[in-house]
Parts: sequence; structure tokens; C-alpha cells
Amino acid sequence: MATTAIPPQEETPSAPTTIFRRPASTEGFWGWVTTTDHKKIGIMYGYSAFFFFLLGGIEALLIRVQLAVPDNTFLSAAEYNAAFTMHATIMVFLFVMPMAAAFFNYLLPLMIGARDVAFPRMNAVSYWIFLFGAIFASSSFLFGTSGAPVGGYLPDGAEWASRLGSMPNGGWFGYAPNSLEAFSTGTAMDYWAVGLQVIGIASLISSINFIVTILNLRAKGMKLLRMPVFVWMTFVVAFLLLFSLPIIAVALFMVTFDRQFGTVFFDATGGGDPVLWQHLFWLFGHPEVYILVLPSMGLVSEVLPTFSRKPLFGYAAVVFAGAAIAFLGFGVWAHHMYASGISTVAQAAFGLATMTIAVPTGIKIFNWMGTMWGGKIRFKTPMLFAIGFVSLFVIGGLSGVTHSIVPSNWQQTDTYYIVGHFHYVLFGGAVFGLFAGLYYYFPMLTGKMYNERLGKLHFWLMFLGMNLTFGPMHWLGLQGMPRRTWVWFEEQGLAFWNAVVTVGAFVIAASALVFMINWMLSKRRGVDAGFDPWDARTLEWMLPLPVPEYNYAKLPTVTALDEFWHRKYTEDEDGRAVRRDDYDEIVAQLEHEGRNPEEEIELPSPSYFPFLVGFGIMFVAYGVVYLSAGFGIWLMLLGAVIALGSFVGWSVEPLEEHHGGHDGHAEAADHEEIEDADAEEVEA
Amino acid sequence: MSDLAHHDVHESTGVENRKLGMWFFLSSEFLFFGALISNYLLFKGQVPTTDALHPVQFYDIPFTSISSFVLLMSSLTMVLAHHALHEGDQRAARTWLFTTAGLGLTFLAGQFFEFSEFVIKGAGLDVLPVWSSFFVLTGFHGAHVFLGVVMLLTLFATSVRNGELSEAQGLNVELVGLYWHFVDIIWIVIFTIIYLIP
Amino acid sequence: MAENATMPTTKMYVRIALLLAVLTGIEVALFYIVELTAMTQGLANPLLIGLAVAKFLIVVGYFMHLKYEKPLLSRTFAIGAVLAGGLYTVVIADILLG
Repeated sequence: MATTAIPPQEETPSAPTTIFRRPASTEGFWGWVTTTDHKKIGIMYGYSAFFFFLLGGIEALLIRVQLAVPDNTFLSAAEYNAAFTMHATIMVFLFVMPMAAAFFNYLLPLMIGARDVAFPRMNAVSYWIFLFGAIFASSSFLFGTSGAPVGGYLPDGAEWASRLGSMPNGGWFGYAPNSLEAFSTGTAMDYWAVGLQVIGIASLISSINFIVTILNLRAKGMKLLRMPVFVWMTFVVAFLLLFSLPIIAVALFMVTFDRQFGTVFFDATGGGDPVLWQHLFWLFGHPEVYILVLPSMGLVSEVLPTFSRKPLFGYAAVVFAGAAIAFLGFGVWAHHMYASGISTVAQAAFGLATMTIAVPTGIKIFNWMGTMWGGKIRFKTPMLFAIGFVSLFVIGGLSGVTHSIVPSNWQQTDTYYIVGHFHYVLFGGAVFGLFAGLYYYFPMLTGKMYNERLGKLHFWLMFLGMNLTFGPMHWLGLQGMPRRTWVWFEEQGLAFWNAVVTVGAFVIAASALVFMINWMLSKRRGVDAGFDPWDARTLEWMLPLPVPEYNYAKLPTVTALDEFWHRKYTEDEDGRAVRRDDYDEIVAQLEHEGRNPEEEIELPSPSYFPFLVGFGIMFVAYGVVYLSAGFGIWLMLLGAVIALGSFVGWSVEPLEEHHGGHDGHAEAADHEEIEDADAEEVEA
Repeated sequence: MSDLAHHDVHESTGVENRKLGMWFFLSSEFLFFGALISNYLLFKGQVPTTDALHPVQFYDIPFTSISSFVLLMSSLTMVLAHHALHEGDQRAARTWLFTTAGLGLTFLAGQFFEFSEFVIKGAGLDVLPVWSSFFVLTGFHGAHVFLGVVMLLTLFATSVRNGELSEAQGLNVELVGLYWHFVDIIWIVIFTIIYLIP
Repeated sequence: MAENATMPTTKMYVRIALLLAVLTGIEVALFYIVELTAMTQGLANPLLIGLAVAKFLIVVGYFMHLKYEKPLLSRTFAIGAVLAGGLYTVVIADILLG
């Protein structure tokens, strides 16, 4: 309960009321569990997300094996439904979003010149709620039941295969009434609805945290229009999350109530309206698309200037285009519903609105190309992934424009053309951008350099595999191959491209393997990255690598966009960038100062409670699923006691324990010197 | 609730971190309650208001007006609690906090009574979609009130135990107040749209 | 805090609450006027909505102090309200008219 003015210890006798002894160590296993350090939380987000990337990838391979040849019996229909449902759910909610959150967490405070986020323990709570929610949703593999006929065709794998079929199977979009009890018996879809609800809470908390961090914790002189583009995109994504998650929360509550308590929101036989689900889902679902891709746009906007040795072309335009995409993104949801019988007026209006999104997107594409134009391009792995992002995203964006047109959309809807389109924007776009970021920031995370040859091998394999997999899907779709169908027949004449697609999927899998080998080997045996390995432009690279726990020994003062670059470089008379004469001294001084803080720096202390809150919420979630079974109510109570108790414990422990002889509140007076020009700037 | 409080950290906007966070949270709550209210509006025209099962036939306007009034007045006592603390009057602040919680509980008791009356007369979650919407909307509003009561009582208990609320806890009173008033304005909207306009 | 100088006094808060009570009274009265007299619902509805908006703004402005806060907070709050109003109006219009 620490705030601006920390009360003297005798006023808050908190120590005796604390249930546990406060964790003191920041090392080892418990150091991770109890951490409130945004960098460690970011790393945990990253590894968790990558684990789910592998799970979702395995499901994708199962799908592709099933569809490799006609009349296949590798998976049953039920297993196939579960595989594509969980593939999408995992990739969207448990891989791309948390991987983006990993970058937000790790980079945000570094990029704006802060020591941590605004609410460090809230940040930890977001992670643990996400993780336990993800474990809960995935545990449907072990505990779920679905009324769909099971029984695998996998040799000697009947038990395993039927488990697969017991996962949620109503699609990541969970269309009602298919997701209701009448059509989805068993607990599988309860796991889906409640699991997404829990993960949504985690994202909502972190979105508020990031917004406040960006607005309030910027270093001196870090005006809004001096923030790196990645920070801007984080800001925009946080707004999208903040305003779209409540909608899906209501929708998921409604479907849970329909399933558990007999409400009739979506049940047409009881007077309900299934199209209402589609509205609510896509009101969230379309902003969600930008939630997935904007972080990658931010990362790419950091990578391209660095490796082109030029400032980002049209910085302000890129920022405002990002905000415009987000704004427009709220007004186009019904283009997912052209086939659901919405009115002609709505179809026309939403078609037009959808086309306008191509404008800010196009602005971004041209600015990225303008950044590279005439630059001294270094084709390092992050740059390759960034260029891959731009080119593949253009393809996905253009095919997207083709289905903003209503009659064209009617032909494409529910075919593989759509699947091809959104994988170009989500895999070619979002995932390539994330890999660009992972390579770019690998030296910052580890202090080591990754293996460039393996990195390039990874890129080319993934680029090839991605195009082999998702390119032919457009043709299959145009030939009329429907999506979400577990089998196709010999007579349909789809054999060649389906075989190619499956080969492509395995090429992607191989590329992911190369990435993992590279990561693990380089982390252990990579060469020392040194200081500022990329000759980068932004604030965070002024830090010694790996980044010290306190981030900045002395909080920086910012005077320009691309602050670090301006400290290192100046212009000669022809306007070319040249290193300052004292370049070596500047760099040496930064590295020395960064490692040797002049005064003791207080950091938020570790805490058990965020972990326990997440742990408790998981039991509440299980309780909801098993309410009708009777013991659910007890699970709910148990979980509520753990979660609420932890909240109480949390509120009586101060954010940071003060160390010997260092009376924190003495310095609180300094705090009053707030409100520089930034305050007015925000209001302007 | 936590907050980063370092001597060298400043708030660039001049608004305290937690307060800013609370305002953003409340802003997003519009989308939450907006969806629930929309459900009701969508389904209320499905059966004519003259139908015996339509909620309009069940509403007890005098009763609901009184409980609305109670919640409205709890906003007054809430703001007085905050105001008293601001003036340094710890005793008055404590009393007003407790009064606010009491008025909130009165409102909840009224809602419980109203729900049971409706169910006795034949309403229910599964009777009509408009009933599903009604119960889920007002139920979630009630849950918000309940959470507010818990927070108010926590503040009250802290005040009693420590004899006062510190400056940091004073901010908590302000934050709980913001939340409480927000729950009140949602009810202002519900009262008009659900009850007064058939 | 900068807003101290203009913050309302206890007396003013009570007066504001009285005003809110009166407005609520008018709302309930309108409901019965429609029931008992020739006044149509179509005439009463805009009045009822106007009264609700007035109460809403008074609570937000004075009890939540938004009137005395930095514009940043008003904008924050307005985004959610406007977005919710706009989006759900379209949904309702599409389903009911479509």
C-alpha cells in the first residue's frame, strides 16, 4: 500500500498481519514466482507463450496430416474440430497476445526511461492470472468431456485420440447456438468460455497498467511524440484491449449463463438471438485482430530504422496511422458477418468502412519502404524478418481488401481463401514481427549474440514454409474447398495443393526447431554481445547488457526522438550522419554509469500474493465448470478464499521494504516536483 | 492496489497513477454495462408490454424508486466521507463511510426482495430472453454494489483499527468513491431505461 | 492538489443531492403522468432521458469531481461512454431494423 507518501512504519503496523514472511531473495525458483520485476515477468510471458506456440503448432500439424490426402481417417471429425478450435484459441490468446505482452513488459519501462511499470504487483498478477487461466483452458485435454463421438483412428492411440476430441470444439469464435448445451454437451465449451474469461481479466489489468505507465512514467523530456513507435503501438493496443475486452467478457458470461443457468440469450428455441453472439464476438474480435498485429508493427518500426541506418520515415504519420487503424478497427466488425443475414445497408456501410482501413495501413507500408529507401541496409536476421513482415503483410492486406467487397466475400466466406488471408496477416504479419523482435532483443535479454547463420536459416525456412503453406490455400479456397471440414474427397481434385500445404507446414515446424536450437545454444555459448551491438537509435540500448535489475542507474533526460542516436551521431555539412568526435567516450561513459549507480536504488520487493491470486482464480474457474456437478461450488469457495485472502495480504504489505537506515518517505518531498511541460502536452 | 513510489519517479500527467488507472477502468466499464443494457433493449420488444410475462407487468415502481433514492443518497454520503477526510475530520469520515456501506446494503436487500418477488410471480432466467437480460444486468450491477460495500467496510475497519486513515488510505477513499459514484450513475441509467420507459 | 480552491463545501454537496432527489421525483412523477393522463410515452421519453442525462452529469461532475479535474480524465471517461453509446446503437439498430 505504498504511495506517493509512504507512511512511517509505526503508523502502519503491517508486519504482524502478514501471513507469510516476505520473500527476500530474488534468486532461484521462488525468485521467479515472487518477482515484481517487469523484465522477469516479461521473460516468463515469453517462455510461456513460446510453449503454447509449440502446442498450437502440434495441433496445426495434426490438422495438416489429416488434410494431406483425400478421404483421410487419421483424425475423427470430433478430434479435427477440437484440433482447429484449440489451434486458433491457443495461437491467438496463448501465444501471440502473451508474446506481445512479453515485449510490452520487458521493453516499455526501458523505452520510456523508467524503473518499472506503474503497478509492479498488478503486473505480476496479470501474468499469473494469464498463466493459470491458460493452464485451466488447456487442462480440458485432461478433464474435458464432449458429447461428440470420439474414438480415434490413430494406431494404438485410441485413449489419447479421444482425449484430443474432448477439448473445446466449437471454433475459436464459439458461434452460438453451436456452443450451447444442445449442440456441445459435456464440459469442453465451458472450459473454453471460462478460460477465455480468465485470460481476458489478465489482459484487462495489464492494459490499464500499460496505459498509466506510458502516460505517467516517462522520463524527463520524453514527450508523447518522442516515444519510440513500439511504445505508441503498445499504447494503442492497450486502448483496444481496454475497450474490447469488456464486450467479450459480457458475451462469455452470457454463453456461460446459457450453459449453466438456463438463460436464453442465444437459444432461438427460447426466443434468443444467435446473431447477437456474432455481434458481440466480433465487436471484440475485430479490434482483437489489431491487438495481434500492432505490436509487431511496432517492433518492425524499431528494427527497420536501425538496420537501414536512417530515422523512421514519417514518424508522426506511422504513429497516427496506428491510432487510426485502431479507431477504424472498432467500426468494421460486421464484415465478419456478411453471410449472417444482416441488412443490406449494414453490409454496404461496413464494406466501405472496411476499405478505409487500407488507407492508414498503406501509409504504414509506404513509410516502412521509405525508411529502407536509400538506407545502408544490413541484412541481419531481425531485418530479414522485418522485411518479411512488410512483404507478407502486404499480401495478406490486399487479399483482405478483396473480401471487404460484399459479393466477393460471399464467394470466399467459409473457404480456404479466408484461411490463407488471415494466416498471411497473422503468421506472415504478427508472427514474423515477433521473431524480428526476438532476434533484435536477444542481446538485451541475454547479453549474448545469437548465431547469425542459424538465424538466417530459420528465416529462409520459415519464409519458404509460410508461403508453401498459406499461399496455395488461396487457390484451394477459390476451387471451393470449405474450411472447418475434417475431410475432403478424391473427386474434388484438391490433391496437389493440399499435399503442398502439408509439406509447407512441416517446413515451418523445422524452422521453429532451428530457432529453438539457436536460442538455447546462443544463450549458453553465444559470443558476448558487448554494448549497443546494433548501433541502435532508441533509449533502451543505452543500457549495459544484460540490463541491470534497476534498469537505469540514473534516469535519463530525453531531448530528441531517437535519443541515443543523437547522443552518438551528428550531421556533417552535407547532412550525412557522422559519429561525434567523442563517440568512444560517450559510449564508455554510458556503460560505466549504467553499471555503477551512485545511490542505492529502491525496487519493488518480491511478493507471494500475485501468484496466489492467480492460483485462487484458477480454482474459481474450475468451480464454474463443475457447478452443475455439485462440487463446483466448493471449488469456487476455495478459490475465492485463496484469491481474496491474497488480496487482503497484498493490501497490508507495502510495495517495497525499506532497507536499513534508509527512510523512504524522507525523500517523498522530492516527489512534489512533478508536472513538467508534459502535463500540458497531454491536455493539449 | 499498488503503486510505484520512488523518490525519482514523477507522474508525467500530474494525475496520481492509481487515480488515472481507476478512471480508465471505469471508462471501460461503460462497454461492459452497455452490452448488458443493449441485451435488454433488444429483447424487450419481443413480446408486447401487455403480455402477462413481460417485465413491465412485474415492476413495482414505488418500491424501485425508493431503492434508487437510497443508492442516490449513498453517493452523497460517499462524497461527504471523502470531503470530511479532506478536511481532516477522521471521525466524520468514518461515520460517512459506514453510512454509505449501510445504504449500499439496503439497496442490495431491496434488490434481493425484488428478485424474489419476481420469481414468486413467475419470472425466471429462462422465461424469456428479456428476463435473462434483466436478471443478468441488474445482477451484475448488484455484484458491483456488493464489491463496493466490501471495499467500504474494509476502509471503515482500517479506520477503526488504526484510529485514522492515513494520506495513502485517503487516496483509497477517493478511488472507492469514484467506483461507488460510477455504480450509482449506471443505476441512474438503468432506472430510467429499464423501469421508467416501458 | 490544485482543485482545493474551488472544491464544493458540505453544504453544496447537500444541495446537489437535494437537486438530484428532486430530479428523481420528477422522473417518477412523469411515469405516473403517462399512466394517468393523456400524455403520451413518445413525449415523456425524451424528458425522461434528458433527466437521466442531467443526473448522470451532475454526479460525474460534482461527486466524482470531474469538473475540477484535468481534462485528461474527462476525455478518458468520455471515450468509453461515447464508444459504448455508438457501438451498441449500431448493434441494436441492425438487429431490430435489419
